[in-house]
Amino acid sequence: MASLDRNKWLLLGSSLGVLGLLVTAAVREHVLLEWRQVQAEVRLDGQPVPVHLRQVVNPALGVADRCVSCHVSMAPGEQSATGPAQSAHPNVVHDPGEFGCTACHGGQGRATLAADAHGTVHFWPEPMLPVRSTEAGCGTCHATAGVPRRDVLDQWATTFERLDCRACHRVDGRGGLLRPDGGGLEGPDLSRVGLTGFRADWHEAHLTRAAQETSRPWLQAWRPVPDADRAVVERYLSTRVAMPALVAAKATFLSSGCLGCHKLSGVGGDDGVDLTRAGEKDPGRADFTEVPGERTLDNWFDQHVRTPAAVVVGSQMPALRLTDRDVSDLTLFTLSLRRRDVPGSYLPRDRMRVARFSEREFASDGATLFGAFCTGCHGRDGLGLRAAGVATFPSVANPDFLAAAPDQLVSETIRRGRPGRRMRAWGDGSAGIREQDIPAIVAYLRQLAGTPESVDTKPARWVQGDRTAGAVLYERTCAGCHGPRGEGLDAPALNNPVLLTAATDTFFVDTITRGRRGTGMVAFAESSPTHPTLTPADIESVVTFIRSWGVQP
Amino acid sequence: MNAGHDALRTFRDNLRQVPGRLAATAFRTGAPRTDRSRSTFVFGNVFLHLHSVRTHRWSLRWATTAGLGIATLAAFFITLITGVLLMFYYKPYPEAAYLSMKDIHFVVPTGRFIRNIHRWAANAMVVTVILHMARAFYTAAYRAPREFNWLIGMALLAVTLGLSFTGYLLPWDQLAYWAITIGANIAQSPREVTDALGITETFDPGGLQRLLLLGSDTVGEEALIRFYLLHVMLLPLVAAALMAVHFWRIRKDGGLAKPADVDRRLAPDAGAHPLFTDAPQKTYHLAAIVRGRSPAVGRGPEHTVPSMPHLFYAELAVFMLTVFVCTALAIVSDAPLKEVANPLVPENPAKAPWYFLGLQELVAFSAFMGGIGIPAVVLIGLGLIPFLDREEAGTGEWFGGPGGWPLVRRAAVLGLAAAVGVEAFIIRFGWLREWFPGIPQLVITAVNPGTVLTAIYAAYSLWLVRRFNSTRAGALGLFTCFLGGFLVLTVVGTYFRGPNWHFFWSPADWPVH
Repeated sequence: MASLDRNKWLLLGSSLGVLGLLVTAAVREHVLLEWRQVQAEVRLDGQPVPVHLRQVVNPALGVADRCVSCHVSMAPGEQSATGPAQSAHPNVVHDPGEFGCTACHGGQGRATLAADAHGTVHFWPEPMLPVRSTEAGCGTCHATAGVPRRDVLDQWATTFERLDCRACHRVDGRGGLLRPDGGGLEGPDLSRVGLTGFRADWHEAHLTRAAQETSRPWLQAWRPVPDADRAVVERYLSTRVAMPALVAAKATFLSSGCLGCHKLSGVGGDDGVDLTRAGEKDPGRADFTEVPGERTLDNWFDQHVRTPAAVVVGSQMPALRLTDRDVSDLTLFTLSLRRRDVPGSYLPRDRMRVARFSEREFASDGATLFGAFCTGCHGRDGLGLRAAGVATFPSVANPDFLAAAPDQLVSETIRRGRPGRRMRAWGDGSAGIREQDIPAIVAYLRQLAGTPESVDTKPARWVQGDRTAGAVLYERTCAGCHGPRGEGLDAPALNNPVLLTAATDTFFVDTITRGRRGTGMVAFAESSPTHPTLTPADIESVVTFIRSWGVQP
Repeated sequence: MNAGHDALRTFRDNLRQVPGRLAATAFRTGAPRTDRSRSTFVFGNVFLHLHSVRTHRWSLRWATTAGLGIATLAAFFITLITGVLLMFYYKPYPEAAYLSMKDIHFVVPTGRFIRNIHRWAANAMVVTVILHMARAFYTAAYRAPREFNWLIGMALLAVTLGLSFTGYLLPWDQLAYWAITIGANIAQSPREVTDALGITETFDPGGLQRLLLLGSDTVGEEALIRFYLLHVMLLPLVAAALMAVHFWRIRKDGGLAKPADVDRRLAPDAGAHPLFTDAPQKTYHLAAIVRGRSPAVGRGPEHTVPSMPHLFYAELAVFMLTVFVCTALAIVSDAPLKEVANPLVPENPAKAPWYFLGLQELVAFSAFMGGIGIPAVVLIGLGLIPFLDREEAGTGEWFGGPGGWPLVRRAAVLGLAAAVGVEAFIIRFGWLREWFPGIPQLVITAVNPGTVLTAIYAAYSLWLVRRFNSTRAGALGLFTCFLGGFLVLTVVGTYFRGPNWHFFWSPADWPVH
């Protein structure tokens, strides 16, 4: 019967087809697996290793990493395995057999195929960190506290070099003499001394030993360290936490003023995106249309730091003038801004101090504070910033300004900001600036400009000028730059309530009289063909007029 | 000594006879080697007796059913088996669910393959159940005495969609999370009307539906365990019970629908020897005749053949073909698994499972009409058809009835054109809300592209009823139109809707956010 035959043939055909497909699947899923082929070529003491799935499991860290199925030589107990693509893990504090791989390197630990495991596939938000940015992984847990701004760090490093400590000590893989008798390094490796700590009387101990030792490094390289340098050495060593690249990157971050707009762990301004977990950005969701090159997160950050508005449409972030080194540092540091829920026993001490004892993630000296919070707008030298499309950022390190302004005015300006302008009230407690930081920043500004605070014996309000005459003079001389009602055009606004309450009359009078060099503000007391000359009485009238804006009607 | 010897011999003989006795007891009526013993075997077997003992040759033609019902059953069995295998590893708890999916994908031997088969069989089941319904409709197989079985079939369609929908959440990835969020919002759509009337505070059936579905305000662990239970236990049990009834009713309702003049249409089959079995034992006493109309009564069993082996070969062939298709698709295409579900990062666009994208498209016009109004009209219409169409012409024939294939062809063109036209219009010109921003929501609920399309279809169908003076003609037109509309809306929802449900020619044009 025809239909029976047709059905029999159909049954036979589809059954054979299913059989074929099942065999194909079985072969594909069991024989042709990458890791099986890799393991087949691995030798341990000359013997083949058993081919089975290897993994590092640490429930506390939420890690189940099958990376060691291919990277057999990084599996616990199999470090001496050899074969294609097998190399031992560099010596680090964290045992890969305990911490797994993804806790530091990112990637998809549960995957068993190379592309999936390295996370360079769709729908895996956390691809592996590229090898050049491996130290970014440290940021997952470590806070790297005590880091100063970059030029300070560089100064410290230079001092360290100058004192020739590297003659005996190895730091970050450089330096350290080997004893000729095979006794290892002359001095201990200091690469992670910032984590382990060092004895407070190290200098005395060195002096004592120097009196006894006769080996050449002691005789030739050792010199007693002056007190000032000793403090520098100690601070420099406190930043040696086995992640030199990340510490350097953080130092660059702290000198680029990023915290002026961005928050990091609750510290910083509110204009920009919170950066606390910026390194966890999913490259699959990032817009790469304006980013040439590979679709990786570090490439995206790199391009974004160079030209923010081109990469993110509508970005208010200015294109900072950065060197290539700065860009790669900022990229590395941003990549390091990632977190992972780890139990307390795994929390490193530096993170613990930051998280539980509100220690800062950066040094608190005036230079670093200014670098971290202020340079984004006021420039690294404090001389202000002019950028297209935004109001000019004033030069706060201007010597004339600092000569005229008492510390109280500068502090009050930092504390209360300029309402209505980009300068926020840094003392309101929400930006992470502490009360004791403000004098430090002011002191740094004075150091930067080389201008001490001038002594002002007069009361804060002493000017008794003619308001009407002042209005006429203001209209004629000042309104062109400061605006008819002091709202500020090219020059700063004068009708700002914080300025009007905090500034003394002496400050206004001095500024009008002597001007501010390097800006459009000329000395109006001096005669000049380009502007009218104001007498002291005229100046007092103008100040009286300006003061009248502060009076509530 | 002698007695012991005999006992040992008896033991040995009994042991020797075990295989034969096992077979005899298993088959109860002896090995099914002749047509007669096969018939009694089919009749006596708890599973096989869902079939009648003899099958009409008309039912065995490939063109009669295209094997769609059996393919649906096969897909159900495949999902059942692969689903049980997946349950060995799946953990129904947020995050853990996702990680167990990753383990199934990467570590469980052939886990990914099994999941792929499960996924493809589930999709195949949705497709075949819809096609099967279309087949039953176009061959007018819903007519008396099969009205109730048509209703059972509709329930099975709903259960199938429910099975697929509940399974969608289980991977706990972004795709699952947001698709179910959208699905739950569709369930909440009555709120559009209660909001417009201002009575949501006191009377909120939409919110209640959503709450019942999710067990919480958002998709979370409650929803996951709820969906898991529905997916692996409740709905499969309901489906199995309904299927048993469905198949049993086929037999009791006289087999598959056949044209009245089926015997004349079938050519004498040269190979159909013997038409009667070697040992005809069964005769048709009056008492044995099933009450009502039976295809065999008054016509003689000339065109029937024993179900075993003829029908069983056909069924097995369709079954294996379905297995083959699902396995082949599983080899070439992996089931998707996106990032772990993250309630803070909405997918844009968030899309429901594909078979609900037509609904989602309608919901975009009006939540109430898309989620409740139009589906209710369609379901009520489908349920009423067997009771409204009491005609007899064309039963068992493809596109049988007044109008026939030319009518269906025209209705298909009109159904597709109207849906494309309405879509094109709204994409190009917008709708009332864009023209009159202050318009009351109730007006939009009543007059929106979905209701306009439904009205066009209904009007056309009414015209057909008058033109052919036949309910069947109207039903043919309406069913075809809705099928076309469903197709167009689903395709638009699937391929041409991007972020914020805006129209895009291709996902390549989507703005990146």
